[in-house]
Amino acid sequence: MTMYKKYKQIGIPRAISYYNNYPFYYGFFTSLGLEVVLSDKTTTKTINEGTKYVVSDTCLPIKVYTGHVVNLINKGCDAIFVPSIQSTGYKINNCSKIRGLPEIIRNVIDKPFTMIEPTLDKTENISFKDFCFQTANALGITDSDEIEKAISDGWKVYNAFFEMTKSGVSYTEALENAIQGKFVRKTVGIVKPLSVAIMAHGYNLFDDRISLNLIKKLEKMDVRVYTSLNVTREDSLAAIDQIGEIQYWANELELTGTAAYYLLNKKVDGIIALSAFGCGPDSLMVDEISYHCKEVGMPLIHLTIDEHTGEAGFVTRIEAFVDMLMRKKRSVLAKPSAQKQKTVKVSNVGKFEETKVLASSVK
Amino acid sequence: MNTAEKLEKSKMENTIPTKDRIIAWPRMGRIDIPLKALLLSLGAKIVIPPANSNEALEIGVRNSIEGICLPYKLNLANYIMALEKGANTLMMFQAPGSCRLGNYTKMAQKTLKSMGYKFDMVIFDMYKSKMKQTLQAFWHVTHCINPWRYYKGFSLGFNKFFAIDTAERLLFYTRPRELHRGDAERCYEKWLKITDETNSVIGAKRLKKQIINDFKKIPIDKNKKVPIIYLIGEFFVLLDPYTNQNIEKELGEMGVEVQRQIMFGDWLEHVLKPSLFYHKESHRERSVRYAEKYMKRAIGGECIETIGDTVYAARHGVDGIIHISPFSCMPEIVAQNILPKVSKEEDIPVMSLVLDEQTGKAGYITRIEAFVDLVKRKQQKRNNN
Ligand code: SF4
Ligand code: SF4
Repeated sequence: MTMYKKYKQIGIPRAISYYNNYPFYYGFFTSLGLEVVLSDKTTTKTINEGTKYVVSDTCLPIKVYTGHVVNLINKGCDAIFVPSIQSTGYKINNCSKIRGLPEIIRNVIDKPFTMIEPTLDKTENISFKDFCFQTANALGITDSDEIEKAISDGWKVYNAFFEMTKSGVSYTEALENAIQGKFVRKTVGIVKPLSVAIMAHGYNLFDDRISLNLIKKLEKMDVRVYTSLNVTREDSLAAIDQIGEIQYWANELELTGTAAYYLLNKKVDGIIALSAFGCGPDSLMVDEISYHCKEVGMPLIHLTIDEHTGEAGFVTRIEAFVDMLMRKKRSVLAKPSAQKQKTVKVSNVGKFEETKVLASSVK
Repeated sequence: MNTAEKLEKSKMENTIPTKDRIIAWPRMGRIDIPLKALLLSLGAKIVIPPANSNEALEIGVRNSIEGICLPYKLNLANYIMALEKGANTLMMFQAPGSCRLGNYTKMAQKTLKSMGYKFDMVIFDMYKSKMKQTLQAFWHVTHCINPWRYYKGFSLGFNKFFAIDTAERLLFYTRPRELHRGDAERCYEKWLKITDETNSVIGAKRLKKQIINDFKKIPIDKNKKVPIIYLIGEFFVLLDPYTNQNIEKELGEMGVEVQRQIMFGDWLEHVLKPSLFYHKESHRERSVRYAEKYMKRAIGGECIETIGDTVYAARHGVDGIIHISPFSCMPEIVAQNILPKVSKEEDIPVMSLVLDEQTGKAGYITRIEAFVDLVKRKQQKRNNN
């Protein structure tokens, strides 16, 4: 054990990779003896704050991220964790803005603080383990046994979290329990008349302000919602393969992977794509999926959001989509023969052994 | 088959017999001149689609999704126009930035196939020292086995690239200083034509010198105080005069010497020559070195070049920077966020221009004029001190 710690706290912005990796981050930093300080949940104020610092063409999630960093600085955090996740596999890159988060933050925020900015870049052979070591070293921790232990502690929290979400526990509930070292299972819920899958980055979907509470809204309309958290990495990859696509983006599993999985196993009546206005990768991934949806007659709606998106119009669009799904379902139920014709080749996706559960965007 | 292998395989489709191949590639600046020389030397049949224009853009916009970047739309239009003219083998170049481009090809392939076209797509990865892969790709499309033809093709190609670069650099220098407006432009056009028509290796090797001598004959005002502006940003918009609305010419005519930081020949030499023979510091290396204070890592596209060039310019007496990029370009949005600080700390005026289908010429010129005024005032102030 190291005797002296350079920092007592580590600030983590509640944005971008937080939504995929926080359980790991929490386990890792706590094991290293640091107190984890989170920024406050996203509000309109966070967005306005972030917008002040970056150019207007920047997408909403990055504005939000910047707002969170400012929030942490205002809270008095002096070490803030701003990772650069370049690639998660050989030539499987992230969007430039995520790759360049530390570059943006360093140059737009003119306040004193220490940025802990490790790089994960598998294209350049910088592994996740290296990423963790860089982080610890930057915090003045060099004992490799201590770091190794922190990594495995991180995975413990993450795996518990993912086991829960996979079984259907909500994002927030699973997170709270995982952090407290508890484990809950979803009691079998009531069967709902409709189900949809949402393809979206975690940082858009699970941020209630950005997504304008999309999941809760759908649940209120009696719709069962599936997300990337219900699909394992292996299933996601297999599904991408099966629809004949190739993973290109680091966070493709949350979008193409999830959508493809539900498209193939036909558990859902429709697919919702949620993305930030002007998002480059999403425009490509959604286009890809909509092509496959058309082929098999799966309804898809693409919702784009920015800081000006109004609640009312957003709700109207969701309602119209859900109504349409309902009408479609009724008419199919009325004519069972029609359903048969539409049946596509049944896939074997989902039969994969759930051997390892890993963070979709880090490992 | 793993993902990487599948990716490699999808890069070289092979459904059309070599002797029937008619090859086309996207338009960007004047890369058509050297590429044409190379492919014809290898005995290939080619089709050159019309240069980028409003018509091409319209075709591209009609057949692609909204959120996709401008370069893709034009590339797609080039392909469609080439296919209409009988092409059946499409070449695609992937630049080192590894941004959305890799995905583009896949998408273009799918779009064109769903439009009913039959063709093979052959992808050239232009990463560091990719001479071997490049040769393979050319072999794949031509099946030419005669080494002399390769020698001839590549010497013609390279020398023409260098000739065009030389002519461009001289054009940028001469245009703001010429005594009779249009002299430099005419000289440039003349040499493009000659370069295109040159068919012997010896002739191509001589081009550079001839061009230099010819430009020397243009009467210029040697004592004129001409401000220098660096033109930087995203690769495609920099090199394609249609997309950037011929910004080089506009600036030249406003009495500014433009220096574009990405020149095709330099770049090509760097990516193709095995590192053993390449001793100069490459543009990327220089950029990484100069950008260090602001950026610790490359993040895709030309972002680090943008920042590195700005710092380099500031420290080498350049008067201003114009940064151009297509709308929604991810790496350049990062650059736009970094530039204000660089501009302040290095004390150099910077203007970012974002280009999209709707960019109106009038507003665009007004902004450039205002910026040039600012740069000139700043230059005067410095000269007076
Ligand atoms: S992936 Fe899209 S939403 Fe995410 S940072 Fe990049 S552009 Fe923004
Ligand atoms: S660098 Fe910009 S223009 Fe080029 S592919 Fe990427 S986003 Fe598009």
